[in-house]
Amino acid sequence: MTNKVCVLGAGSTKYGKLNESIIEIALNASKDAIESAGITPKDIQAGYISNVFGVTDKQVHMAPVIMSNLGIPYVPGLTIESACGSGSVMFREAYANIAAGFYDCVLALGVEKITHTGTTQSTTLFSYCSDFFYEGGNGASFPGLFASIARVYMTTHKANEEDLAYVAVKNHENGILNPKAHVRKKITVDDVMKSPVVASPLKLYDCCPFSDGASAIILCNEEFAKKNGNPYVEVIGSGRGASPAAVQSREDITTIPSTISAAKQAYKMAGITPKDIDFAEVHDCFTIAEIIDIEDLGFFPKGTAAHAVTAGATRRNGEIPINPSGGLKSKGHPIGATGIGQIVEVFEQFTGKAGERTIKNAETALTHNFGATGASAAVHIFRRVQ
Amino acid sequence: MSAREKFIASAKKNKILANKCSHCGHTMLETVNYCEKCFGSKFESVELEGIGKVVTYTIQAVAPEGFEDVESYAWVIFKVDNTPLRASGFLPRIVTPKDLPIGTTVKVAGFDPKHGLLLQKL
Repeated sequence: MTNKVCVLGAGSTKYGKLNESIIEIALNASKDAIESAGITPKDIQAGYISNVFGVTDKQVHMAPVIMSNLGIPYVPGLTIESACGSGSVMFREAYANIAAGFYDCVLALGVEKITHTGTTQSTTLFSYCSDFFYEGGNGASFPGLFASIARVYMTTHKANEEDLAYVAVKNHENGILNPKAHVRKKITVDDVMKSPVVASPLKLYDCCPFSDGASAIILCNEEFAKKNGNPYVEVIGSGRGASPAAVQSREDITTIPSTISAAKQAYKMAGITPKDIDFAEVHDCFTIAEIIDIEDLGFFPKGTAAHAVTAGATRRNGEIPINPSGGLKSKGHPIGATGIGQIVEVFEQFTGKAGERTIKNAETALTHNFGATGASAAVHIFRRVQ
Repeated sequence: MSAREKFIASAKKNKILANKCSHCGHTMLETVNYCEKCFGSKFESVELEGIGKVVTYTIQAVAPEGFEDVESYAWVIFKVDNTPLRASGFLPRIVTPKDLPIGTTVKVAGFDPKHGLLLQKL
């Protein structure tokens, strides 16, 4: 028997190019989450921190520094890294510890600061998240790896570059409504098609930006949430998956096994199917990733997602709204924070804080976040609590 | 010699070094330590001809450090002929997709300490 786990509070900095240090960014999101939950730091029994490139801002062993600066230096913290999937993988560990009864209330905080390194160094650092001997070490960048996946997908399933562009247009349409988004700019399919090639066949507007930012969650058991009295959201499904680290080793390059495995576990635990999901925040680091994600998560049959996207099925008023926050593409991708940022969006949607982005009558939502080209992934499912 | 050093030594002879599981016969790249099918750890080394067909690739406008000063290249995944194995490498002087249709035959041309597994078109 495990405890029910609830999201009691959530906060985020703006995503984008931020001037503060990585620790200051982390503290700003933490304070927002603590205030949102209506608790004080003395209620926090552990800190879970996700981060990848803290070393570039001269800080590793980040958790104790953050806990100390929150006035709780004797509360244990832990830093977790799983590339771009760090946030969701960390959330899973925080979730499991509440469910198991080790803690009643914890802080789950994701943070990243990368823009100060510049494009070439950022590109290089991200390439270290690949299976470097086979990929980064032979000259592949992350846009390059996803471009290679896109080329196979388009050959196999007859999708084209314009289909991919519709993902970017839709996510920017949502991101405009998100005051915390990095790139709040309306774009057209033509803008995407005319943007410079980054890694053929992907162009600039097929790619998410390098972002700084932090997002934080207060996670607790149901008893704690009920006593607190503030609105909360229940976590009803959790799954983790893995894939061969190198793209070359995957039997089918147009699917991400870690997503399929994590989603199956989460749906089973929640006792629901993809048809029961009212909206989803998925890992759209590149437009092709969102196409593959929404097939692997079971929203569309294999090879049909590109057509569904161009038909509007994933817009806010569509059959299954995808990335109402703007996604990584428009909201931004501070990689240590992204997985938690998705859960912040779910919390805001379910507690009346999403403004014009609100998905009407939504009761159940899914978050999906992966590391690297999907070598690691986590999927979580949430239910609105009346 | 470590597994990676052996792989590199074979690449310098234009070969791909693979491990054939002594227990079940499954073939994997040299750098894998346990058989992914039966978890056996005894292998027979097999040097495969480093020739194969392009499965996918990309040509990047923004390259990582160490590659930013080379002329336009492709990062390529290719299927090694007569095996189920895929490998990836660095193929210089590829400027547009017209230079590299899917299915093009490539061969291992060596291993560069800076650029990794070198490929050339056949």
